[in-house]
Amino acid sequence: MSNETLSSQTEPEIKVGPNPDGSFDPVLTDKDLEKCGRRWKMAVMGFNYETQLAPSVIFAEADALRKIYADDEEGYKRSLENAGRYFNVTPPVGGLLLGAALAIEDKQHNQGLEAVNDLKVGLMGSMSGIGDSILWTLVPTVMGSIAAYMAQEGNPVGIFLWLAVGLVIFWWSLNNWKTGYKFGTSLITTLADKIPVFTEAMSVLGLTVVGALIPSVVSITVGLTFTMGDVTLNFQEGILDMIMLGIMPVLATWIVYVLIKRRVNLIAIIVAIIVISMVCSAFGILV
Amino acid sequence: MELSIVQIILVALIAGIYRFDRIGTQINGHNCVLWATLAGLVIGDPFTGMQIGATCMLMSLGVAALGGSSVPDYIMAAIVGTVVTVTTGQDMSVGLTIGIAVGLLWVQIDVIVKTLNIFMAHKQLDFAHKGNYGMMKAVTWIGPVLFCVGEMLPVLIVMLIGGDAVNAVLNAMPAWFTGGLSIAGGILPVVGMAMLLNYMPVKQFFSFVVIGFVLSAYLGLGILPIAMLAGAAAYEYYKSHAAAPAAAAQTSEGVLEDE
Repeated sequence: MSNETLSSQTEPEIKVGPNPDGSFDPVLTDKDLEKCGRRWKMAVMGFNYETQLAPSVIFAEADALRKIYADDEEGYKRSLENAGRYFNVTPPVGGLLLGAALAIEDKQHNQGLEAVNDLKVGLMGSMSGIGDSILWTLVPTVMGSIAAYMAQEGNPVGIFLWLAVGLVIFWWSLNNWKTGYKFGTSLITTLADKIPVFTEAMSVLGLTVVGALIPSVVSITVGLTFTMGDVTLNFQEGILDMIMLGIMPVLATWIVYVLIKRRVNLIAIIVAIIVISMVCSAFGILV
Repeated sequence: MELSIVQIILVALIAGIYRFDRIGTQINGHNCVLWATLAGLVIGDPFTGMQIGATCMLMSLGVAALGGSSVPDYIMAAIVGTVVTVTTGQDMSVGLTIGIAVGLLWVQIDVIVKTLNIFMAHKQLDFAHKGNYGMMKAVTWIGPVLFCVGEMLPVLIVMLIGGDAVNAVLNAMPAWFTGGLSIAGGILPVVGMAMLLNYMPVKQFFSFVVIGFVLSAYLGLGILPIAMLAGAAAYEYYKSHAAAPAAAAQTSEGVLEDE
C-alpha cells in the first residue's frame, strides 16, 4: 500500500531520530494509550462509505500522535493523513491492531508510516473475522436468545446477564490498546497464525447453536386440515411433525439461505416474508 | 393513554443513547430486551416493553451489520412497538406492526448518514492540513450526532402523532393484515439464521448444525445447555487442531466473508 504522491512530496523532509539506527525514543505511556482506548469508542459512529472507520482512527489517535510529533509539525500532518486512510475493523478488537501500529510509529515516526499502513490493512480482515464472529454474532445470538426466552416468561435476569458480559468486553476493549502497544507486531502476528483454527472452533460452537435455534426460534405452523370420510387429519401434527420435527423452519431457513447467498436484497426478503405471511393468514394456510 | 412531554423526551433520549452504544461504546447495543424494557419503564409499562423486546430480539438474532452493511433496526422496532402498544392499548402484535415498519426505515437512514459522513471525513482532513487540530477532532462529532438524530427522529414522530391518530390507522387495518404480521413475526427469525449460516463455514461443519438441531427439536434442551455442549466441542476441536496450524490455514479462507 505505498502512496507515490505522499512519499515523493514529503520524502526530503522526513526527520530521522537521534538513535544510531535512525529511530526515536518512545514517548507514549499507559495513560496515553488508555485515552486512545476511550476515544476509539467513536468507533462506527465515524463510518463513511469512502474511508470507513478512518475518521474514528484520527479521533482516537490525534492526541497520542501529537505527543509523538511534539516538535515536528509536518510529521504530525503526514501521520494524520496516513491515519485518515481507508480502514475497517470490528471496533472492540481494533485496539490490539491500532496499538501495535502506534508502537511502530512511536519508534519510527514518519519512517514507519508505510509499515503502519501495511500492518493495519494487512491484518484488519483476520482481526475482524474473529471480532465479527464472536463479539457481533456469537455473543448476541447466545445471550440474546437466553435474554429473550427469560423475558417472555417475565424474568429480567437474562437482560442483566448479557449486560454483565457486555461490560466485561467493554472493559477489556478499553485496555487492549495497551496490550497491542506492549506486545506489538509479535503478538498480532502470532495471533494471526492462530486465528484460523480459533475461528473454526468458534464456527463449531456457532453452528451448533444455530442448529438449535432454527427449530426453537422460528415458528411456522400450518393450519390446514384434511377430512377423509370421518377422519380429520391435521396437516401439521399428522403429517409434517411425523416426517420431521421443525421441518417448516428448516425449509424456510434453507430458502432464505439460498436467497442471501444469491445476494438478494435483505429488505426484499423481509418484505416478501411479511407479504407471504399475510396471504397465508388470509387463506388460513398458516396460523 | 397520552404521553407527557417528559416521557416523550426520555424515550427519544433512550433511542439516541441506544444508537450511541450500538455503534460507539458497544456495551449492550444489541440487547433488544434491555432497551425496550427501558422505554417501557419510562412510559409506565416495563412488562410490555420486555415482551415486545423479546419478540424483536428473536427476530434479530444473527442479523448483524458486518463490514459496514445496513440491516433493519429491530431495537427501534421494539421501542416504537412498545410505545404504540402502551399508548393505544391495543394488542402487542398490533404495536409490533408499526414498530417493524419503522425499524425497516433504518436501512435508508443508515445509508444517508454514512454518505453524509463522507463530508465529515473530508472536513476532518482539511482541518488537519490547515493545522486546526481542535476543529479536526471536534468535527468528528458530526458522525454520532447524525446517527443519533437519525435514530431519534422516527421514534419522536411516532410519539408526537399520538395514540388516537395511530389507533385510527390501526382500526382501519383488516384482520389478515395484523394476523399476517404476527405470523411473519414467527418466520422472520429465519433471516438471522440464514445470515449466520452464510457467514459461517456451514458445508465444513454441517454435522454440528444437525447435532444442535436434534438436541433442541427432539431432546428439547434449552439454548444455554446446548451452548455449553457446543463450547466443549469447540474446545476439543481447537485443542486437536491448534498443534497443526499449517493444515488449518488452508481452510481459513471463506470462514467469514464480511469485508
